[in-house]
Amino acid sequence: MAVKKEKSIKFNFDVSAYRLIGRELITDRITALFELVKNAYDANAENVTVEFIDINPLTPNSKIIIKDDGIGMQFSDIKNKWMVIGTSSKRRERLSPAPHKRKVAGKKGIGRFAVDKLGDKLVLRTQKKNSTELLCLETDWSYYSKLEDSQLKLNFEDEKPFFTDVENKYWYDNGDKEVQGTTLEISQVNEIWTENDISRAFKELSKLVPPNPSKTNAYPFNITIKSPYKDFNNVKVKTQLIDFATKKVELTFDKKEGVQEILQYKKGSLNKIKVPKRPCGFLKLTLYYFDQAAKSKYKKYFNSDIDGIKIYRDDIITTPFAEYVADQNKQKDILGIDKRRWSGFFDRFGTRDLLGYVEITDENNPQIIESTNRQGFVDNEAWEELRKFIIEQIVQLESYFKNVKKVERENTKSSLGVANQDLKTLKKEIASVKKEASPKVQAKLRSIEANLGKIQGSVTKSIKDYSKLEKESKQQENLFMSLVSLQTYAAMFSHMTKHTLGHILTGAEYFYNNYPNPNLEDRFISISKSIYKEMLKLRKGVDFMLKYAKSDTELEEINLKELIVNLFDNIYVDRLNEEGIRTIVEIKDNLILNYNRKAIEDIFDNLISNSIKALKNNNEKIIKCSSLTSSDEVTILFSDNGIGIKEKDKHRIFDIFYTDTAEEGGAGMGLYMVKTRVEAMQGNIEVIDNEFNPTGATFKITLPFKK
Amino acid sequence: MEVTFVIIDDNKEIEEHPLLFTLEDKFKNVKFYSNPQDGLDYIKNNLDINLIVLLDIEFSKDDKLDGHDLLKEIHNSSSLIPVILWSGINQTNEEFSDFINNRAFGFLSKDCSLEEAMLIVDKAFNNLKNSLDNTIEDWIINNESDKDKPIYFTSSGESYTLNEILKEIRLQTPIGKEFSSKLNSLTIDLLLRKKENL
Repeated sequence: MAVKKEKSIKFNFDVSAYRLIGRELITDRITALFELVKNAYDANAENVTVEFIDINPLTPNSKIIIKDDGIGMQFSDIKNKWMVIGTSSKRRERLSPAPHKRKVAGKKGIGRFAVDKLGDKLVLRTQKKNSTELLCLETDWSYYSKLEDSQLKLNFEDEKPFFTDVENKYWYDNGDKEVQGTTLEISQVNEIWTENDISRAFKELSKLVPPNPSKTNAYPFNITIKSPYKDFNNVKVKTQLIDFATKKVELTFDKKEGVQEILQYKKGSLNKIKVPKRPCGFLKLTLYYFDQAAKSKYKKYFNSDIDGIKIYRDDIITTPFAEYVADQNKQKDILGIDKRRWSGFFDRFGTRDLLGYVEITDENNPQIIESTNRQGFVDNEAWEELRKFIIEQIVQLESYFKNVKKVERENTKSSLGVANQDLKTLKKEIASVKKEASPKVQAKLRSIEANLGKIQGSVTKSIKDYSKLEKESKQQENLFMSLVSLQTYAAMFSHMTKHTLGHILTGAEYFYNNYPNPNLEDRFISISKSIYKEMLKLRKGVDFMLKYAKSDTELEEINLKELIVNLFDNIYVDRLNEEGIRTIVEIKDNLILNYNRKAIEDIFDNLISNSIKALKNNNEKIIKCSSLTSSDEVTILFSDNGIGIKEKDKHRIFDIFYTDTAEEGGAGMGLYMVKTRVEAMQGNIEVIDNEFNPTGATFKITLPFKK
Repeated sequence: MEVTFVIIDDNKEIEEHPLLFTLEDKFKNVKFYSNPQDGLDYIKNNLDINLIVLLDIEFSKDDKLDGHDLLKEIHNSSSLIPVILWSGINQTNEEFSDFINNRAFGFLSKDCSLEEAMLIVDKAFNNLKNSLDNTIEDWIINNESDKDKPIYFTSSGESYTLNEILKEIRLQTPIGKEFSSKLNSLTIDLLLRKKENL
């Protein structure tokens, strides 16, 4: 067979491509405006005006004009950049030209197609400084769409012009030498812009730069909106000052020292502490928390909702947060703050309680990348860590306010008590006055006394209700905590049940099938023995399970050694054997604690399951539990020789939802629960230097003896 | 047909499991190994007899081999042995793909009843009974005189008697595999050319 000559063929764009990269990619008008204003920012503009003419109702003269005083374009720019889809110029040059040297906001080189969303026809006029020529370019999107329509009716594939075949007209006008910049004149406007729409545009454009730009900016960026509406006649877009917040927190970093500030709640106060750099890179976080009262003030004053935390990169907002959403409740929870609420429980903050901004930079956080569809960020480690970072700070803030509430509650309770006392004194006084008063006054006083009695009754009831309520919510919380560890237990329990049931079931079945049979006597004996043994195992499992359902307040005398040995040798025996873990218990036989059994079991339950996870990849696996007693307290050391706890994590391992073992099903509840339980006993838990070398973890629990 | 059951499970209590008793009652030969390596060695040394294996999946971490490895090893030694997985854990699909690749015969849950278990066991038994090697064995039992007749000649000039071929098949040697495959082709050819009827 003769070898045929090779030829080549090119890809081409159908005319409909203008839709795909324009109105179908950028789905709403406000994002479109946003993109165009961002282009002005990238062109070093210091002033941008967005002018709306005749936009309600629409007329043949309706126009949207976006005018900037940026560096403008010459013909080669138009030809090689503006007219090239996906131009790489902004990806190559990550800084705008000197002297501004802004980090460019656009990257994908398609923002200008957003024009198509606003109107069908665009006349672009642009001029470089010191040039007398004003370069004009006309693009008629309606021509593309007409072409597309007519092509649909044609059957001759070969004769169809492609997207890239359509000619766009350009010409030169005379320009003023002193002027520079680019003007986009969009006509044949698609949709009516109501005052509400303009107001939305205003609000969204105000998000473009952070509320307080990082430094005194030598090259400001001003946006002005002009429209027929009175309130937006000629108004400068300003970032809303954030006011009325209940609490403001600012976190920063020190690059030289290599440290990042984070929040830490400890014993009633909220502090900033310095930790080593996180995998997400250095960042600044400003967080405002609004309580109910502050929220309504904010809303009333700014006429907008508190809308969560946004991420700014190099002083400009990142694209996922630049998407406009009409209904704030439908706004995507990119950071996953609200998600915690559904999975979480008490005292949680949501995006409606928090306002804030994270400031990152290309230099410090190169791995945080906005995904091309603008809906989120590329899911990588850095992004995951950034999310974790933010959530962690929120958690600390939550703990702080949880405590504030607690203190308030106690105050309420005691002021109720005081009121009750006052009432008693008052009654006494009235009683003493009554004796000496005239019959008329006495009658009056009697009725006052009766009323006082009623008030006193309701105060007493309030106090009672209050305590009851408090107790109930505490119970609820305890129940929730138990449920989480119950989940882990349930997995083990069902595994055990399955084996045991299988044994019992088949044993009974064997009997049923074969009994009586003198030849099988030995077997019947061994089977009945095993049924008995398996039943005992099952009973133990059920007992343990039942304890979870039991009320949480009973105190009993507990032999600590027995309790731990029971956990190791009975409850966890299968898991430990399976993993090849050796256990060492060095606790005095007579160490008795008078506490709630479940609480203590919970503590060790969680510590053991933690250790099992940490030992996963060890060859030699040891878990050790030892105790030391002094006259007023007992110290328990719980150690393993597993992977250990990284220095940078030591301060946060007790935080709720902090987990290093998500892959093994860790939910970040375990150590939090341990800490809560220990603290409920007036005890303390901390991570100390590991007992085993070279790696491992040692927890030190101190419990006071009750006097 | 004689068959030997090999049960491998690191839990020693399984030795007294009613399923093992039932198998012993019905099939007589039951071997229990709590050490996976011992079990595997037994299988490898007894490829010339009929075996059915019941295999646990999760072994303690001290054992170098788990059920997955064992299955692979057994399958590599001989594809004729039905291996039934007998486990207390619910396997995810992904792990099951390994079982499909290594041709596990079936899966028994540790909590299934004897009746349910015996359904799969009997299926494995019948499967074994209808296999080529057992057909040859039955032939030899019924026609003792054919035992030493050479029936297969290789291109290198060696000849194999019916009894020798049986062993080669059971040991899954290249000669045994070659013979099985050629025999199947021959049968199909004969049927197609209407030289034989079944």
